[in-house]
Amino acid sequence: MREMTRGELAAMCTNLQKACTKQMRSEEALLFGELASFYEQGREKPEGQAYQDLLSAINEDLAVGYKQADSVASANKDRGSLRALVWGEKVSKLLKSLLLRYEKQKNTLLENTNVYVCEICGFVYVGEQPPAICPICKVPSFKIQAVQKEAI
Amino acid sequence: MHAARNIALCTKDCVCLFVCPTGATDTENGQIDFSKCLSGCRLCVDACPSHAIYLVPSSYPDPQKKESEVQQSLFDLASSKVRQESIAKHLAAESDDPVFKQLCKTVAMSNHIMAEDCYREAGYILPQSDAVRKLLTDLLSKEKDNPDFPATAVKKLLEKL
Repeated sequence: MREMTRGELAAMCTNLQKACTKQMRSEEALLFGELASFYEQGREKPEGQAYQDLLSAINEDLAVGYKQADSVASANKDRGSLRALVWGEKVSKLLKSLLLRYEKQKNTLLENTNVYVCEICGFVYVGEQPPAICPICKVPSFKIQAVQKEAI
Repeated sequence: MHAARNIALCTKDCVCLFVCPTGATDTENGQIDFSKCLSGCRLCVDACPSHAIYLVPSSYPDPQKKESEVQQSLFDLASSKVRQESIAKHLAAESDDPVFKQLCKTVAMSNHIMAEDCYREAGYILPQSDAVRKLLTDLLSKEKDNPDFPATAVKKLLEKL
């Protein structure tokens, strides 16, 4: 396996933390959580730190990343990976449109409304109430979390 | 294999209290007392009228084998998602506009979840798997001279998993 960055290891460890929680192994979940915070605190500064860098990274995923991964997963008949790629591509398209809308509408996009993220697939919803089931992964809405506006 | 309660489904009919031979189902925190639960007994699982109790496996089969080229492309995608998460977190930290911060936090969360999913499909779905044990062992040796590294936590994980 290749060397992973600390940011990548943070995501790896929260993934394993969640898996332990699902197996009702709360002690192991806490230990993975401890490891995840260690890596989160050491998260590297990203190359390119501007809004436009975010957009170009999403465009790159949509133009190249998903296509490449999809052809590899199809060639290997890896249905699980294809599932993750389908969900991820849909979410990435949504994020792209959200960022483009924010560029045009600025803060009016999110003022007087709520923002939600599906904790299973990453689906983002802007509106009063989240849908009853996630349109991407079909999980019921209690797994779709509100993202709060922080008071400054 | 012990029983666990999905509290979101439990309708408090308490039939599990009637059938449990050890009192494991009667607790103040809504969860079953695993230390009292009889392995594989399942009386409460079958009795529960709201299907809120299930058995948690004590062992799991090896995960599906992942081809290295599939793994490689999922790691590449995860890398990109983590980078986007980092940019979004950086933008949120630099801004003092609550709405823009909320947007960046949303983008960061969404990307983090997508990265986790890539790692699951790349063969890191099961904490007890050989792949995860190897990862933990490698991290431990790589960080052996770093006093901030939670080495005790990693050693405990390797013992318990």
